[in-house]
Amino acid sequence: MTPIFCSSPSPHLPFINANLRTPLSPPVFHVLVRIVPLHPRRDHRRWRRGLSARAASSDSKGPDDHRLTEDRDLNEAESGEVAVSEESPLVLCVPHVGSFTVRRPKSATFSVGVVVAIVLLVGVLRRIIGGKSDNGRRGGSVADLVRRGHLKSDRRGISKPLSYEDPFNNPLVKVGKNSTVEMYGKVYRLAPVTLTEEQQTIHQKRRSRAYQWKRPTVFLKEGDPVPPDVDPDTVRWIPANHPFATTVSDIDENIAQNNVYQKHGVPFRIKAEHEALQKKLEALQKEEKLHGVTIDPNTIQEFERPFQSPPKPPGQAEQTQRTTSTSKSGGKSESSESNAASEEPHKS
Amino acid sequence: MVSLQLTPPKPFLPKTLNHSKHDNKPSTTVRSSLQWNRKPQLSGDTPRVVVITSGKGGVGKTTTTANVGLSLARLGFSVVAVDADVGLRNLDLLLGLENRVNYTAVEVLNGDCRLDQALVRDKRWPHLELLCISKPRSKLPLGFGAKALTWLVDALKSRSDGRPPPDFVIIDCPAGIDAGFVTAIAPANEAVLVTTPDITSLRDADRVTGLLECDGIRDIKMVVNRVRTDMIKGEDMMSVLDVQEMLGLALLGVIPEDAEVIRSTNRGYPLVLNKPPTLAGLAFEQAAWRLVENDSMKAVAVEEMEPKRWGWFSFFGG
Repeated sequence: MTPIFCSSPSPHLPFINANLRTPLSPPVFHVLVRIVPLHPRRDHRRWRRGLSARAASSDSKGPDDHRLTEDRDLNEAESGEVAVSEESPLVLCVPHVGSFTVRRPKSATFSVGVVVAIVLLVGVLRRIIGGKSDNGRRGGSVADLVRRGHLKSDRRGISKPLSYEDPFNNPLVKVGKNSTVEMYGKVYRLAPVTLTEEQQTIHQKRRSRAYQWKRPTVFLKEGDPVPPDVDPDTVRWIPANHPFATTVSDIDENIAQNNVYQKHGVPFRIKAEHEALQKKLEALQKEEKLHGVTIDPNTIQEFERPFQSPPKPPGQAEQTQRTTSTSKSGGKSESSESNAASEEPHKS
Repeated sequence: MVSLQLTPPKPFLPKTLNHSKHDNKPSTTVRSSLQWNRKPQLSGDTPRVVVITSGKGGVGKTTTTANVGLSLARLGFSVVAVDADVGLRNLDLLLGLENRVNYTAVEVLNGDCRLDQALVRDKRWPHLELLCISKPRSKLPLGFGAKALTWLVDALKSRSDGRPPPDFVIIDCPAGIDAGFVTAIAPANEAVLVTTPDITSLRDADRVTGLLECDGIRDIKMVVNRVRTDMIKGEDMMSVLDVQEMLGLALLGVIPEDAEVIRSTNRGYPLVLNKPPTLAGLAFEQAAWRLVENDSMKAVAVEEMEPKRWGWFSFFGG
């Protein structure tokens, strides 16, 4: 009697139904081993009953067709070994993978199972926690677009900006031996650059033959006549419906150049508004002088604060009317000035 | 990805920037072994006016401008980044300054504000200032767009707010070779050509290089962007050396494909400020370093070596 030894199954694999097919040279045998899901300690009898070994030839119709299913009694099982069959000598040919030893589960198996489960759990938790902290550290996700105002969402997080302050120290890059360099844990093979100055010169000559070009300095719409003093090679023709061609240029070239080199003073627009208001006020004053009307120094307070003016005597009604119109223009100028001041550009 | 001489790196020179905070660290701190762990020496006359162009759209001109500009500012140089993309400006978004742009160059030309009022200073790194040419809906007059940009760059040399002239003026060029391109390259003395390792981008890059050379800009360097070493290894993508063979330009930098680019754009925080630094950010930083010293790459990382095998306990952090 040659028993087939079945190894005791791992305590953390009680729920496996395994079908092991072992191809062998003819006759081919299929050894089917089924491990019934049972608790190894609570019901070891059922666990052993669940173990069945089947051996069959590949040709079920042949004369060597055998099906062995044995449920060993407890006495045999107590010895820790299960003899599958002595009826079939073919089973003896089954290699070691088809042999099983059934041992009684010891008390330590449960604790081993618990330890393995804890280790697995710790590993998984570490991966999860590490992944979360990694995402939070790197940033650059869509949440940053939300933070910058390009996307609207209240549910997205806000990441912190990072700064890498020392450009002269990067310990993650190391020069290796044998023309290699290690960067961020990866090793790269280096190859020398083989381009010589002669080759560069050859390429330059090739390009100078291939490309004849002058930088265009005149841009004309298609259909416009070429000015007489302009080199036709320097003309860039723009289609009439091109956005560049439809650009209305209302900037004078000389003024623009002066504006670029402007170093002091208020911006041109605010200055122009001031000058316009001054001219308007001067015009109003001239007009009043022509009519022989001057501003009464006694009513200067009314000029400044028209809405808080005290009640006037009836003799000054006409004069008050004129000063009111003047103060309106003055108020407008004040508001314009403050608007302009509010548009005073911030120093970037 | 890196410019490394295959000979042993030079000994470190003493730092010229003040980093007392970091000098107080214990001596056990691991420091980088790269030779650019020092402040680069500025070469050439200032301000150096560099246009960043490509021809093809979407290859990373604005990203390069933002990251190289901020890297230069972090290296201690004063930089004015000019967004010359008249109708479709984006540089302010990448720098996170979109809410602070009140005045543009068009307002300066109109006389609505002075030039120093149109410069938006980055609060994180005050050496960096942004100048937008126009607001999205306004357009620069075609007739003197190139002249206007030349005036602006010239006016930056003598500023009214008492600040010294900038060391670098970096111009973000719009795509194409249209009027925007002509405007952007007008004041430039040197150019950085951004390309990706695909034939469409390379054809446009070659043409743009030809136009730049016709315009008298001979100092042209190339940045190869969005490089994937795994595809190069599988021969699904041209290598950087192949690109260089086709264009015949000196390499300023090689930028690997990196998902952090999108994240940094979303945050309005350039890659080079990321902590921990990203691979692409590091490559931009090194490109800026070379730009300062007028250097070019001597070696490139062509492919990724075999990764380390995963151990049984790697799942648990082992």
